[in-house]
Amino acid sequence: MNLFKTKFNAATIVLIPACIGINYLGKMFASLLKLPLWLDSIGTCIGGCLGGPVIGAICGAANNLIYGFTAGDNITLIYALTSLGIGVAAGIMARLGFMKSFPKALLTAVVAGLVAVLISTPLNVIFWGGTTGNVWGDMVFAATQAAGMPVLLGSLLDEIVVDVPDKIITLIVVFFVLKGLPKKLTALYDANAKVERLD
Amino acid sequence: MKSISLYVDNGSWLCRVHPFTKLAYIVTAISVPLIGGTLWLFAAFIALSLAVLASGHLLRRVTPLVAFSFTILITIFLIHGLFNQNNQTPLFQIGPLRFYQEGLLYALRIGCNVLNMLFSFAILVLSTKPSELVEELEKRGFSRRIGYIIISVFQIVPQMMGTMSTITDAQRSRGMETEGNLLTRAKAFLPLISPVVMSALINTRERAVALEVRGFAAKQKKTYLADRTPHRGDKPITIALLALIVLAAGWRIAQCL
Repeated sequence: MNLFKTKFNAATIVLIPACIGINYLGKMFASLLKLPLWLDSIGTCIGGCLGGPVIGAICGAANNLIYGFTAGDNITLIYALTSLGIGVAAGIMARLGFMKSFPKALLTAVVAGLVAVLISTPLNVIFWGGTTGNVWGDMVFAATQAAGMPVLLGSLLDEIVVDVPDKIITLIVVFFVLKGLPKKLTALYDANAKVERLD
Repeated sequence: MKSISLYVDNGSWLCRVHPFTKLAYIVTAISVPLIGGTLWLFAAFIALSLAVLASGHLLRRVTPLVAFSFTILITIFLIHGLFNQNNQTPLFQIGPLRFYQEGLLYALRIGCNVLNMLFSFAILVLSTKPSELVEELEKRGFSRRIGYIIISVFQIVPQMMGTMSTITDAQRSRGMETEGNLLTRAKAFLPLISPVVMSALINTRERAVALEVRGFAAKQKKTYLADRTPHRGDKPITIALLALIVLAAGWRIAQCL
């Protein structure tokens, strides 16, 4: 089984905008319900799980680039790298079979969260001086700075506090959605599926 | 249906300028202050962007964009002004809070960078139709598949928002609480999002079939419906902008020598 094998047919091309739309909805619901998390990578993870790491990467990067360039939210632009990493992580974990049961899905969530933390932290330090713009995370950052810890460590803790719970909830949603999808739909994206000919 | 794009055709000159010219402006506005490395260059480009926005009658529509990032900027000023590692010189004191010069300068630099990016992007975002930008990119050899992805996001999102409000109403009428303490709101998230996500994914199947029937995968060269008249400022402005970047790079190198 090839980890990065990807189908590029009309079905996967259509999947990408749907996933980007789902990301947008997640973010909207999170702000509607005033949840202190982002929840804006549900679509990216679905794309990664269904289409593989390459589709996940495209979903993530395209998501941030499109909203950055057209919806005026150019702060998200620099986090395109983070989204790309999340998509790849979710895709690889799903291909390795880590989305088959609930406990394994939680492990996927932790991996995706840590990937997001590792990529976001340097970006936070370069562009924002370490803050993330999330209330809880920034309180942690302020506390570490007041205690005299280095900016990088403070920013890392700031990200972990927000990103890991965020990805856990995201992948719980993804797990239940994927379980409910009909087989005739998921078969469209399966790059390792074999077509049996009857003639 | 509400579009997620912020573009409105107000008939100003900015809407007629080629999208690539605006892209060149973004590149210049972001790179020149970073290459030059001084604070007044940021201020100069922020002022220039504001002047361009004003001449295109877009100034009022920038306000919500700025308001959004303002809270983040304020946290940066507070955290670095109070707790930055290099803080030495106290500047002023409000009650028990003592602000330091080094942290505030650092925060000022970040704030200027963010505002500069925000305003230069606002010029493109507020005055360019997304489909027009994609079409111009495709004419220069940009992948049609990626072009389709970008354009269809703008069609899918308003549709999904429609489904989302239907489902929110449906779940509320069944007695689900969407307000209250954090636990109640968090519990509402899953029953709200999963039906929308499911229907969105199931719709993709039909969409894919429809696309294939219309020859999406065909290799023939396609023609374009709209032909745009170039603005006479396009070429001189782009050349001037690129010259500015070269100039800034030259100035910085000369300074280092």
